[in-house]
Amino acid sequence: MRQSIKYLLAAFVLLMGTVASAQEYKLPAYQKFTLKNGLTVYLMEQHDVPMINVSAVIPAGAINDGDKSGLASLTASSLRHGTKNYPKSKLDSELDYVAAWVNTYASKESAGLRSEFASKDQQLVLPIIYELLTVPTFDTAEFAKEQKQVLVRLSQAKESPRSVIQPAFDKFLYGEHVYGNVVGGTVSTVTAMTATDMQSFFRKNYRPNGSAISIVGDFNSKQMKAYITTLFSKWEKGQAPAENLAAKPVTAPTGNRVLLINKDDAKETTFIIGAPGISRNNPDYIPVEVINTLFGGRFTSMLNDELRVNSGLTYGARSGFSALRNAGSFVISTFTASKTTEPAVDKALEVLNKLHTTGIDETSLQSAKNYVKGQFPPKYETSGQLANLLTDMYWYDFNESMINNFQKSVDGLTLEKAKQLISTYFPKDKLQFVLVGKSSEIKKIAEKYGPVTEVQITEEPPKKAF
Amino acid sequence: MCGRHFLHPFSLVSPSNLNYLFMKKLLLPLLLLQAVYGFSQIKQEDVKTFTLANGMKFLVVEDFSIPNANMYLFYRVGSRNEYQGITGLSHFFEHMMFNGAKKYGPKEFDRTMEFNGGANNAYTREDVTVYTDWFPASAAETMFDLEGDRIASLSIDPKMVESERGVVLSERSTGLENSPWNLLMQSVQGIAFQEHPYHWPVIGYEDDMKNWKQTDLERYFKTYYAPNNCVVVVSGALKVDQVKQLAEKYLAPIPAQPAPPPVFLVEPPQEGERRIELQKDVAAPYIMIAYHVPNAKSEDYYALQLLNDLLTGGKSSRLYSSLVDQQQLASTIFTQFGESFDPTIFGIAGVANNGVQVSALENAIYAEIEKIKKDGITARELEKVKNARLIEFYGQVATINGKSNNLGTYELFFGDYKKMFESPARYNQVTADDIKRVATTYFKKSNRTVGILQSNVE
Repeated sequence: MRQSIKYLLAAFVLLMGTVASAQEYKLPAYQKFTLKNGLTVYLMEQHDVPMINVSAVIPAGAINDGDKSGLASLTASSLRHGTKNYPKSKLDSELDYVAAWVNTYASKESAGLRSEFASKDQQLVLPIIYELLTVPTFDTAEFAKEQKQVLVRLSQAKESPRSVIQPAFDKFLYGEHVYGNVVGGTVSTVTAMTATDMQSFFRKNYRPNGSAISIVGDFNSKQMKAYITTLFSKWEKGQAPAENLAAKPVTAPTGNRVLLINKDDAKETTFIIGAPGISRNNPDYIPVEVINTLFGGRFTSMLNDELRVNSGLTYGARSGFSALRNAGSFVISTFTASKTTEPAVDKALEVLNKLHTTGIDETSLQSAKNYVKGQFPPKYETSGQLANLLTDMYWYDFNESMINNFQKSVDGLTLEKAKQLISTYFPKDKLQFVLVGKSSEIKKIAEKYGPVTEVQITEEPPKKAF
Repeated sequence: MCGRHFLHPFSLVSPSNLNYLFMKKLLLPLLLLQAVYGFSQIKQEDVKTFTLANGMKFLVVEDFSIPNANMYLFYRVGSRNEYQGITGLSHFFEHMMFNGAKKYGPKEFDRTMEFNGGANNAYTREDVTVYTDWFPASAAETMFDLEGDRIASLSIDPKMVESERGVVLSERSTGLENSPWNLLMQSVQGIAFQEHPYHWPVIGYEDDMKNWKQTDLERYFKTYYAPNNCVVVVSGALKVDQVKQLAEKYLAPIPAQPAPPPVFLVEPPQEGERRIELQKDVAAPYIMIAYHVPNAKSEDYYALQLLNDLLTGGKSSRLYSSLVDQQQLASTIFTQFGESFDPTIFGIAGVANNGVQVSALENAIYAEIEKIKKDGITARELEKVKNARLIEFYGQVATINGKSNNLGTYELFFGDYKKMFESPARYNQVTADDIKRVATTYFKKSNRTVGILQSNVE
């Protein structure tokens, strides 16, 4: 132990002299402009390689599903079925031939498109991207195939605790709020969907105003600006919804609760212990992440150290904040053999309690700061990463100062402030537990932590709330 | 492949920030490391090499695009060097390398590394064990000190052995718990190889895992963790001279060891189809078909990789467009063929669509293979997969981590890192006749092993 402190101090002294200045990372220059139809465009030149990456974000995520769970996700993947000029087979064949790719997807809040292609192919791929976002055909035969595949995948997901636990937790925490919506949908809702549903969801939610597209790579910004302006100005402005469902308040939990998801053939218990977290625009977002790094965000974190390194109960334990525009969640997550469920849950709670009672010290805080700074630059190494960053900047409403001042924000976290943040943002009580495992072996244990709601892993999630 | 732990990225902007919970795939044996597309201008002459007096070879790439660097240590040891009774030991040893040495005791490797802004992971495959350190370039000296300490004088504490045993048992269990593929692939591999050590899974047999002895670990360390059994790749914001100086200071003093015993087992040719059925409560049947194929140094390697792309690379590929798109027999289809020291298997795997008999899917896969054997492929198809390989090549070296991982992989598996730079030309030389020939040579009924996992096994 003595030795350990000595080395840490030696490392600390070394660090002050050198590391601090080496971490400076500045976002490369970019330009941002808005077309008349409201579409925001970001352009960033990166000339080291003759490639281009595109990212687009559209306000068409699962929060808009209504009672048709999975609609946003299926609509987004159906964009890829092509347009009149580019039916699916032609689209696939032309893109594959030049080794380009275009992916479309939906997440909880937004829908997105990502693409990569050689600069020489920009006049082929950019018009394809434009068509996919504005005039998809939603071909009924292609839709039927996609629907079938989604249904198989939904059934398969029920074979894997780690596939079901996060959506179940969101539903359990957010209840009837749209942030509880299950992105992938359910067997019954997806079975009932038709290509017409896609068409009407598309007309309602895909619009240039409220959307952004970023293009990063080897091109001339002046020419690209002219080209994109001509191409995307044809996209007709749409009507934003009168009511922002996501902005409605989330009902906070009033006490501990347990959702037990029974899996008859389970040999281990996969679990989450969670609570409400923070929204993405919270001014304390970065310092809170620094503290989480220490608590459950890296290998030597308090959670992993106790549950894996000291006790061998699991292959990994961690925690994290999942931040959306208007709310967020915090989870501790891990898994363990069925017979060690109780010690693992108890230990996780003990570590959480320790964060509040013993807190953190100067050395560990410094270590977390060094770690997040040291691991920061590789997050923005490639054009693809930079393109995604730009659309995230649009969606979560921040700018390059968040990146350029990252080091300052991290360094500014004092021990005193850290203590205050722990008490404000890390839960002490009213915890929401989700356990996926063999009920006959763990139900008694589950009851220790709060009133238990039991469901089967094979069951559909409830339409409204657990 | 087994990893040391799930990756812990600190992502500032992802909407599901730190909510990557269980994202990293585990335990996919023989899986070719998938690279993200990109592009980079690295040239063969940008790679500098030197070898220390103790036989430890270094490959260094200077790259100042970000203020970070990495160090990848490739050891020539994997489950291929095990025998029954100690299966899984290579992977377990990989975990033990983090549990304390002379200077940096238990927990101090990770703590010191993270305090200095560094992160690490490690993975074990059939043929190699690879340790990866990612750090701010200014912390390079600490990284060399940490690596030097554990290679020179690892201490294997019996208490740490016991808690780490629990960790790898949990790693094994969570892999099986969350995906039927692990069970199916291990089983297929287990009957495709009957004598060669690729017979057992990298993670090991559960009973062996519970019975490794202290002496096994000590022998493993001395035999395989010798500087002359290791290639180190460093990429990032460091000068070659600085790397050399640190290597001389921290790694050169470690004495060389006698070369490890060669693996002499050769899998006898398979002379008839082998089949295995597995019962598991799954919604739709899973199938895997594996053919014996040669190793990475074979002349046929490049044609087989292009055939791999032709079958499942992209939505216009043969198997995807026919089985998933047109006939709708499968909901998922993919192939697995990676580099290996010894002859390996080429896997074709899929999940049947709703209401589809797995035999219909199996026969449809054979029908597509027969078409290639009989009619060959079109010039446009060949052109397509060559384009894809070229783009992929650049993608593999688009980041400093991609550079280190790929250079090390080529050095060990292909015998020379320079082969990485030759690979676009090697792919370009492949003809449509080569594709037809390798399909005919290897994709034969007598050379295949078929595994089916479904809920209703008789």
